[in-house]
Amino acid sequence: ERRSSSLQHKSALFSCVTGQKQIRCHKNWSLSPEEFEIWDRLYRIKESDGVKEPILPQVHFETLENLEEISKHDEKATHELSLSEWRIWQNRPFPTSMVDHSDRCYHFISVMEMIEVLRHEQGNCSYELEIQPHLRIEDVNVQRNKSHLSVTNST
Amino acid sequence: QRLKAAVHYTVGCLCQDVAEDKDVQFSKQTIAAISEITFRQCENFAKDLEMFARHAKRSTVTTEDVKLLARRSNSLLKYITQKSEELASRNMEQKEKKKKKSSAAKGGRTGEQETAVTESEDSNMA
Repeated sequence: ERRSSSLQHKSALFSCVTGQKQIRCHKNWSLSPEEFEIWDRLYRIKESDGVKEPILPQVHFETLENLEEISKHDEKATHELSLSEWRIWQNRPFPTSMVDHSDRCYHFISVMEMIEVLRHEQGNCSYELEIQPHLRIEDVNVQRNKSHLSVTNST
Repeated sequence: QRLKAAVHYTVGCLCQDVAEDKDVQFSKQTIAAISEITFRQCENFAKDLEMFARHAKRSTVTTEDVKLLARRSNSLLKYITQKSEELASRNMEQKEKKKKKSSAAKGGRTGEQETAVTESEDSNMA
């Protein structure tokens, strides 16, 4: 019932923009009283809704000192949007509407596909086997190699 | 492929360090995935750096462009900025030394120090 009423009010919002009277109160950056009323009634998440407020995960660097302030939010009252929950869906491009996938998006998809292939491997890694013959030792910083890696000493 | 192999090797070494440090193990497949991601990320970086430089009407990528890559995280930006300041001051020192040297024995190569700089910047980005 919410959806149909929100549709109605979308058109109401449009008429608000086009209508003469409303344009006057629309000049501020903030919502006009009418818009606020619509937002409050249709879109605003309230306690009675039984849904948690969505929040985005924050940037965090494991290997660096973190400057970003951790915003305090009640774990139980919010729903942190997950970027990894549906990872098994992400080895193919998702449909687009107006904005095409970017190059980095395609990189992401290919890597997810690669991981999907590697997931089923046991022991030897096909990627390693394929790439190892091309290693030229002069390309790499050899000093780093203080401990022996299985990756490196099998050649 | 040769580039990929070099990246894979270096990623392997770095992962080994982390593994010892954190007392965890990486599967070969994990290392392969990280190195493929790194390889592809270099493409993203390269394109962005080129565009940033062009946006500033330059054809040479500078440390300012590299800082822009790190703009989304304050911590990362601070880290990169520190590193670039360190590099800059070290470069100054080296130039001072070079000046003294070259005035003493006329003919120091400047190419050497420059490759050193780009190399360490590369490893920062990876």
